[in-house]
Amino acid sequence: MSKSTTIRKQTASAERRLGPKIKRILVELPVLQALVLLVLAAWLLISIPSIFNPRSVTSLLLIASLLALAAMGQTLVVILGGLDLATPGYILFGAFMAANATGKLGLSPMLAILLTILVCGGIGALIGWICHRFAVQPLVVTLGTGAALTGATLFLADGDYSSVPHDSLRSLASLRATTFGLPFPPIILIVLLLGVALWVFLNRTTAGRRLYATGVNFRAAGLTRIRTSIVWVLVFAASGAFAGLAGVFIAAYGSGWSQTIGDPYLFSGLAAVLVGGTIFGSIHGSYTRTLLGALILTLLSTIIVSNGLSEAQSRIVFGVIILAVVSLYGRERHVRNRF
Amino acid sequence: MSRVQQLLQRWPFAFALLLALVLLVLNLLISPSFLSPQRLPATLSTLAPFVLVGFASTPAILSGGIDISVGPLATFINCFFVAILIPAGLGNWQVAAPLVLLLAAAIGAINGVLIAVLRLHPVVATTGMLFLLIGLSLTIAQNPIAAPDNWTEVFAGSVGIIPGALISIGAAALIWFGLRRTAFVSNLLATGESDISAFGSGVNTTAVRILAYSVGGLFAGIAGIALTAIVQSSQSSLATTYALLGLAAAVLGGTSLAGGRGGLLGALFGAICIYLLQQLLTASGVAPSLIQFAYGALLVVGVVLGATLLTPRLKKVRS
Repeated sequence: MSKSTTIRKQTASAERRLGPKIKRILVELPVLQALVLLVLAAWLLISIPSIFNPRSVTSLLLIASLLALAAMGQTLVVILGGLDLATPGYILFGAFMAANATGKLGLSPMLAILLTILVCGGIGALIGWICHRFAVQPLVVTLGTGAALTGATLFLADGDYSSVPHDSLRSLASLRATTFGLPFPPIILIVLLLGVALWVFLNRTTAGRRLYATGVNFRAAGLTRIRTSIVWVLVFAASGAFAGLAGVFIAAYGSGWSQTIGDPYLFSGLAAVLVGGTIFGSIHGSYTRTLLGALILTLLSTIIVSNGLSEAQSRIVFGVIILAVVSLYGRERHVRNRF
Repeated sequence: MSRVQQLLQRWPFAFALLLALVLLVLNLLISPSFLSPQRLPATLSTLAPFVLVGFASTPAILSGGIDISVGPLATFINCFFVAILIPAGLGNWQVAAPLVLLLAAAIGAINGVLIAVLRLHPVVATTGMLFLLIGLSLTIAQNPIAAPDNWTEVFAGSVGIIPGALISIGAAALIWFGLRRTAFVSNLLATGESDISAFGSGVNTTAVRILAYSVGGLFAGIAGIALTAIVQSSQSSLATTYALLGLAAAVLGGTSLAGGRGGLLGALFGAICIYLLQQLLTASGVAPSLIQFAYGALLVVGVVLGATLLTPRLKKVRS
């Protein structure tokens, strides 16, 4: 008895020394992502020193913040253990509202944003309710709703893709815009503020902890009297509202829209979430990670394109990076350890 | 009511079959020549890629996972054949057919290893693969490249009186029914139902999973050939469309995303439903945007019906 106890103690103290501690820090905090980001930034600075001017840095941040905004709802859904494939539909609808409704129909920009949030949020809430009530996978329901929303938006647009968003919207997201006299567009500040708000919500409020609890173990959360139906409805509604909002700003940034404006943001947004280190139903997922992920992806594609490789090759790199990052710490338990 | 429900629960694909029949009748009402012998080979060959991508998604879903990279795999095979093999002079069927099928199965097997051995979440692993494949297809052939005359045209026309599409679909079906004679399919269903119980009863769940994704890859390879047959050019832009179509076909056909329930027949009828719906709406002059709307709505309704009517046992305890 004494022998085995000593051995156990020895191994325990050996483990306590270094390995597990580092591993725990790596898992709990996005240290790895921050390091990768620094390395990428240094690489970019060394390979193209001329990029370090306010205009280029602003444009990098602007692209990253649009991606981060599009991935905001996805982060919450992934923490809940689902997947939202309706993102392109929401973004398309947001872009339609920004361009056609404010440009052609003369709707006021505030009303357009409000309508986008209401419609996309409402559709998201419906998705959440259906998934929870009928116990179906969000993957399929969001896929179907996304296709339906895309179709409906294109029908409403009636072939008109030439409208330009209202000036006040464009001043929020165009490269030359200023925030309180400072030379960067307000969208960067908006995304940062939303990020802080989301951090406070997820870490410092009961509702945020309920979201994590529902994601980690649905049944256990239900047994602790968390109303999981409400959590699902609200999370999917938030996902819709944020993606719709992202659509408004994406159209404002590009001063227009097209049929396929939302498509790149579905898989790139998911990539930002995954590279950040948020895994399905994980307690360590957070929006801070997604922000880092979006920055990493933006820097990476800049480096790839500046080295003369094509957009297509950056997709390949994205794919490899997702697999590498997730196999570092997103692995599931072996079936023999789950009895 | 309860007897209808029992029937639907006994045969998961019954709902898709009924829907397909209704859509077929509606199609015939709108354009009576829809099933005429002259048009049949062409109709079937446009249907074939849908069905085969649906087939390709099925084994992964049955194993309790999911493979969203089968659509891009089909378009990658299409680009690989048209833009690499044919210019390299390897376009004859004796070399090209085994080569592309082997490549497709190998890519599927990589997915399987990522999921079963590295234990990545299936959605994550196949998303990574989806990026890789779309990137590779775009690198090979950014813009559509027209293919010269080649053997795949057989699958768009007919051999004697047999429509070529029946051969490609039939080949995939034959492989599957061959596998059903072995223990693999039962082990696959057991793994999908509960991998813990399957593992406990001595099923090698790792091998079963890897094989499931490889078979999916193989079917995606056949889908790539069927796709090449009708477009006769490299179409890298179709990747995301097919990524979602295959999934929709399998789910509409009653294959449960929780794993362990369903089969190829479901994917077949699911794909036929999607195809017939498109045909019906196109023939009756509805705007393309509304077709997309109807397709999305059909998917949601199908899934909800599947969850309420077709699932025999009570779902997880909720509160």
